[in-house]
Amino acid sequence: MTQIKQLILIAEDEESICSFISAILEANNFKVIKTAKGGEVVALTASHCPDLILLDLGLPDMDGVEVLKAIRAWTDTPVIVVSARVHEREKVEALDLGADDYITKPFGTGELLARIRTAMRHGRGNANETRGTMDTFAVGDLSIDYEKRRVFVAGKEVRLTPIEYKILVLLSTHVGKVLTHDFIIKKIWGPYTNEIQSLRVNMANIRRKLRENPAEPNYIVTEIGVGYRMVEEMESDGIRTV
Amino acid sequence: MTDVDRRPDPDVLLATLGKKEDRAKGELKIFFGYAAGVGKTYAMLDEAGELLKNGVDVLVGYVEPHTRPETMELMEGLPVLSPLSVSYKNIRLQEFDLASALERKPEVILVDELAHSNVEGVRNRKRYQDVEELLNAGIDVYTTVNVQHIESLNDVVRDITNVNVFETIPDYFFDHAEKIKLIDIEPDELLRRFEGGKVYRPERVATALHNFFTYENLCLLRELAVRKIADRISHENMNERGLTEKPAGIKMLVCVGPSPSSAKCIRWTARTAEAFRAPWVAVHVERMDDERLPEGERKSIRANLDLAERLGAEIATLNGDDIAAVVAEYVKLSGVTNIVVGKGRNKRTLKNFYEKDFEDRLIALLPNVEVHIIPGRLPGKTYRPPRRRYMGRDFFFSWWDFLKTVFLLTAATLLSTGFRAFGIGDHNIIMLYILSVLVVSRVTDGYFYGIVASIASVLAFNFFFTVPYFTFYTIQPGYPVTFVIMLVVALITSALTLRIKAQMRYAVERVHRVEVLYEINKKLLAARGIENIVSIANEYLVKIFNRSAVFYTLGSDGSLAGSFLKYPSEARASSLILDEERAVAHWVFTNQKHAGAGTDTLMGARGLYIPVVSQGKVLGVIGVSCVEGLLDQGGRLFLSAITSQVAMALERQLLSDEQRKMTISSEKEKMRSNLLRAISHDLRTPLTGIWGASSTILENDLDISTRNKLIAHIREESQWLIRMVENLLSVTRINEDATSVIKTCEAVEEVVAEAVGRIRKRFPGRKIAVKAPDELLMVPMDGTLVEQVLINLMENAVNHSSEDAKVEVKIYKNEGYAFFEVIDSGEGIPEEILPNLFESYIPDARRGADSSRGMGIGLTVCMTIVKAHRGKMEAFNKSEGHGAVFRFMLPLKERCDDADQTADPDR
Repeated sequence: MTQIKQLILIAEDEESICSFISAILEANNFKVIKTAKGGEVVALTASHCPDLILLDLGLPDMDGVEVLKAIRAWTDTPVIVVSARVHEREKVEALDLGADDYITKPFGTGELLARIRTAMRHGRGNANETRGTMDTFAVGDLSIDYEKRRVFVAGKEVRLTPIEYKILVLLSTHVGKVLTHDFIIKKIWGPYTNEIQSLRVNMANIRRKLRENPAEPNYIVTEIGVGYRMVEEMESDGIRTV
Repeated sequence: MTDVDRRPDPDVLLATLGKKEDRAKGELKIFFGYAAGVGKTYAMLDEAGELLKNGVDVLVGYVEPHTRPETMELMEGLPVLSPLSVSYKNIRLQEFDLASALERKPEVILVDELAHSNVEGVRNRKRYQDVEELLNAGIDVYTTVNVQHIESLNDVVRDITNVNVFETIPDYFFDHAEKIKLIDIEPDELLRRFEGGKVYRPERVATALHNFFTYENLCLLRELAVRKIADRISHENMNERGLTEKPAGIKMLVCVGPSPSSAKCIRWTARTAEAFRAPWVAVHVERMDDERLPEGERKSIRANLDLAERLGAEIATLNGDDIAAVVAEYVKLSGVTNIVVGKGRNKRTLKNFYEKDFEDRLIALLPNVEVHIIPGRLPGKTYRPPRRRYMGRDFFFSWWDFLKTVFLLTAATLLSTGFRAFGIGDHNIIMLYILSVLVVSRVTDGYFYGIVASIASVLAFNFFFTVPYFTFYTIQPGYPVTFVIMLVVALITSALTLRIKAQMRYAVERVHRVEVLYEINKKLLAARGIENIVSIANEYLVKIFNRSAVFYTLGSDGSLAGSFLKYPSEARASSLILDEERAVAHWVFTNQKHAGAGTDTLMGARGLYIPVVSQGKVLGVIGVSCVEGLLDQGGRLFLSAITSQVAMALERQLLSDEQRKMTISSEKEKMRSNLLRAISHDLRTPLTGIWGASSTILENDLDISTRNKLIAHIREESQWLIRMVENLLSVTRINEDATSVIKTCEAVEEVVAEAVGRIRKRFPGRKIAVKAPDELLMVPMDGTLVEQVLINLMENAVNHSSEDAKVEVKIYKNEGYAFFEVIDSGEGIPEEILPNLFESYIPDARRGADSSRGMGIGLTVCMTIVKAHRGKMEAFNKSEGHGAVFRFMLPLKERCDDADQTADPDR
C-alpha cells in the first residue's frame, strides 16, 4: 500500500532555490506544486489543499505578508515563511500574523525537513490535540509531567516558579516550533502588557535551573530578535539538529 | 575712427554680457520728462496697455490721480493694486502698498512719481527705495520722474526756476536704470496745456507754479533734460566701444561744513566728477571744539555727508584744529588733484583781516593742486554761522586747582620778597609774577584760575612791592600795562593748555579705537567656531558702544538664529529681540543694506541693523540697540570697521568648515573604494573555485568520489561567500557615518548561544567551550551584528587551529563593560600582521596566499561593528602556550529596561 504523499506548495520566485527545495522534498516523499507568484498562492491553496505552504517573503508581485493574511483569512494550513537572514522584523511580523515557523536562506536539508515535520505536527488544528492527549513530555534528559505539574532533569526534580512552569509548558506543547516574544508574553501575562524583560529573566532562570550552560542551551533555543523554540530531537553527543 | 589698437576690451564685453544675463534683478524703465504735464504717465500707461495685450502680467502699483481725462482713461482695463491707506496727523493718505506688490509678484509693475517721499510709518522713507526692493525681487518696474528731481541737478534747477524742489532721487539710481524714455514736447505746447488747466486743476494753481511755468524756465529745463539723456547715451556708447579711459589720475575733494553752501559744493563736485569720470572724496574736518556744536549744525554736517555718500563720494572724517593744514596733509597722502571749496561772503572783521583766507592757505600749502571756489550765494537769507560760545564749559571750580593757585602765588610772593632782599630789581619781580601766572594756567584746568591768578598777581605786586608798600595804590602808569600783559599771558597759556588737553583726549580716543580694532582682530583670528566668533563680536560691541547687541546668523534650517548680549545697565534692552526687530534683521539679510533707527528704512525700529557681508553674500546681521539714543557718525564708522573684521572671520570659518567636510567625504570615498577593492579580490577566488569545479564535473566523466569531492568543494566555497555577504550586509545596517547603531537590550548569553549554535552547525565535531556569567547580563547592542562578530571570530579560531583543538568563548562583566573573548589554541597570529589586523586595505603583496581569506574582511567588519557600538577591540597572542586571543568590549548602560525595547528598531 503506497503511503499517501503529503502535498507541499512552494511559493518561490527564484528558480534555483525552488528547484533544490523541490528536489529535497521529492526525495523525501512529498508531492510538490510550485508557483512564483503570490497572487496564485491563494487560488492554488484553495484548489489543491496542500498540507503545508512554503512561502517566500520576497515575492515580486505581492508582499509575502499580504499573501499570508489572505491565506489565514480562511485556512489554517501550516505556513513556513522563507526569508533572508537579516530581516527579523519581517519574520516576527509573519509569525504574529499566523505563520507557523520560518526558515532562513540558506538552509540545509535536515533543517528544512525538521521544520516541515514540526509545522505539520503542530498545525493550528492540531495544537490542542497534542496537549490534550499527552500527560507527559520528554526530550533528552528533560521530562515534564503535565498532570502532576512536575519537571525532571535526568531524574532529579527541578523547582520552577509558576510563571517559569507556564513558559516551559507552553514551549513544550509547541515543541519544535518557534514562539515569538509577543506570543509568549500574551499567553503568559495577558494581552496588554509588555514584559520582555521579565521574559528574559524568566528564561535565564529556567535555563539555569535546567542545569544548562546558558550560553549553550540544549533544550530551549533563542532565535535572536524573534523568540524562543524548544528543541524536538537531540543527538546523542548533545548537538541539536534543529 | 576705429583704431585697431582700440578694439573693445574682451573683459568689458564679458562684463556687459554678465550684466545682461543677470536677470535675477528686475529691469527699471524710467519715463523722463522736464516738467509736470509733458505726458510721462500717459506714455507709461499706454505702453502698459500694449504689454497687457501681449499677455504680459502687468499691474498698476500706484498712479497719481491725474487731471487729464485721457490719462485716466488709459487706466481702465489694467489691473490695479489698491493703495495702502495710512493715517498721518489725522488725515488718511494713500501710499503705494509695497508688501502686497511683492506678494503679488507681477512681471511688470507701474509706479508713478519715483521721487515721492513716503508718509511716516511706511517701511521705506522714499519711493525709490520701494522700487529698489521691487527690482531686487525680480519684478520689472516702470516709473516716471522729472529732471528737477535728480539730486545732482537739484540746485541748478533751483537757480533756474527759483523753486525749491525737495523730493529728489540719487543719481546712481537714475544712472543704473536699464531704459530711459525721454518724453518731450515743445514748451509752447506745455504752456498751453498748463493755461488750459490740463496739468493742474485751475483752483490749485499757486503763484509759485505760475513762476515755474514760464517759457524761459521751460526751455532751460528742457535743455537740462535733453542734455542729461545725451550724456547718458554718450556714456553708454563709450562703454560699448570699449573706449573708457580714465583721464590720468583726476581725483576731487570737497570740504564739507554745516552750511547749505556745502551742499551746493557737493552737488557741483558730483556733477564735475561724473563728467570727468573721476573719483571724489568728501572731507569733514572735526575740530577740537566741535563737541560743543549745537545739534542743528551737527545734523547739517551729517546730512551733507550723507548727501555726498548718496552721490557716490568716498567719505573721510579728519581731525585737527587747523583745517587747511589737515586738508593739505590728506590731499598729499591720497593723491587729490582738485579741491572744491565754498565761499561765503564774510564780513571783513578785525579778526579776518589778519588771517589769510582758507583758500589762500590751501594754495600756499598745495601749489600743485587746483582749487575750485563755488560762491555760496543763496537767495533769501544769508547764512550766519552761529556764534560759538566759548564760555560756559570751561569755567568751573575745583578745590584742588584753587589750592594750586594759592600755593603758586604765595611761592611767587615769597620769592619776590627774597629778590628784594637781595636787591634784584623790580622788573624781575614782575617777570616772576608773569611766570607764576604762566605756571598756574598750565597746571590748572580752564581759564578761570589763570585769570584769577593774573588779577591776584597784579594786586599782590601792587600790594607788596610797590610804593607805598602794603597799599593798593597804583602810582606808576605802567602797572595797567603790566596787568594787561599778565592777563593776556594767562589767557593764551590757558587756551593752549586746554587745546593740548583736548588734543590728547582725542588722540587717546583714536588710539583706543585702533587698539580695540586690533584686539578684536587678534581674538577673531584665534576664534574657532561660529559661536565663538559671534560671542566675541557681541562682547566687544557691548563693551565699546555701551549698548546691547544682537548677532543673527543663518541657521542650518535657513532661518535666522540670534545671539543676544545685554548691556547690563540698559533698561528695555530685551526689546531688541522682539519679533518686529527680528523682521527688520530679516529685511537686512535679504536686502544687504542698513536698516533700523537712524537710517532711511524701517526707522521706527529699536536697533540699528547692519549686514555682515563678504564677497557679496550676507553672512549675518549685527544689531545695536538704539533705545537710549542714536549712534553718531563716528560710532557708525567704527561699527562698520568692526563689522568688516567680523565678516572676514566668519568667512574664514565657513571656508574651513567646508574644507573639513570635503576632507571627511574624500576620506570616506577612499575607505569605500578600498573596501570594494578588497571585496572584489576576495570574491574572485571562491567564485573561480566554484566555476572550476562545476565545469569540471559537467565536462568530464568523473568517478563518484572525485565528483563528490568537487561538489563538497563547491559547497565550502559557497558557504564562505555566504558568510562574506552576511558580513557585508551587517555593515550596511550601521549608519552612514559608522558612529551609531540601533541598540536594544539583549541577553548576552542568548546572543552567544545563537552564534555558537551556528558555528556548531557549520563545523560539527569541533570542541567549543562557552563560559557565561551566572547572573543574567543584559547589554545594549544590535544582537545580529554582535552575533556576526562572534561568528567571525569563532570561525577564524576554528580555521586557524587543528581539528581537535579547543575554542573557548568567555563572557564577563568588568567596570561598566561587557567583555567577550574568543580564544583558540592554534598557531597564533604572526607578529608582523598584528598591527594591521583589523584593516582590510593592506596592499596585496603583504598578504600571504592563505592569510587573505577570512582575515581581511571579517575582522574589518568586526572592528566596524564594535566601534559602532562605541566599544573597543583588540587581538594578541596568548602569553603562555600557543594561540590567539581576540577580545572586544561593549559599554553597559546603567539601566537596561523596557524603555529601550519600545523604541522599535527596524532590524
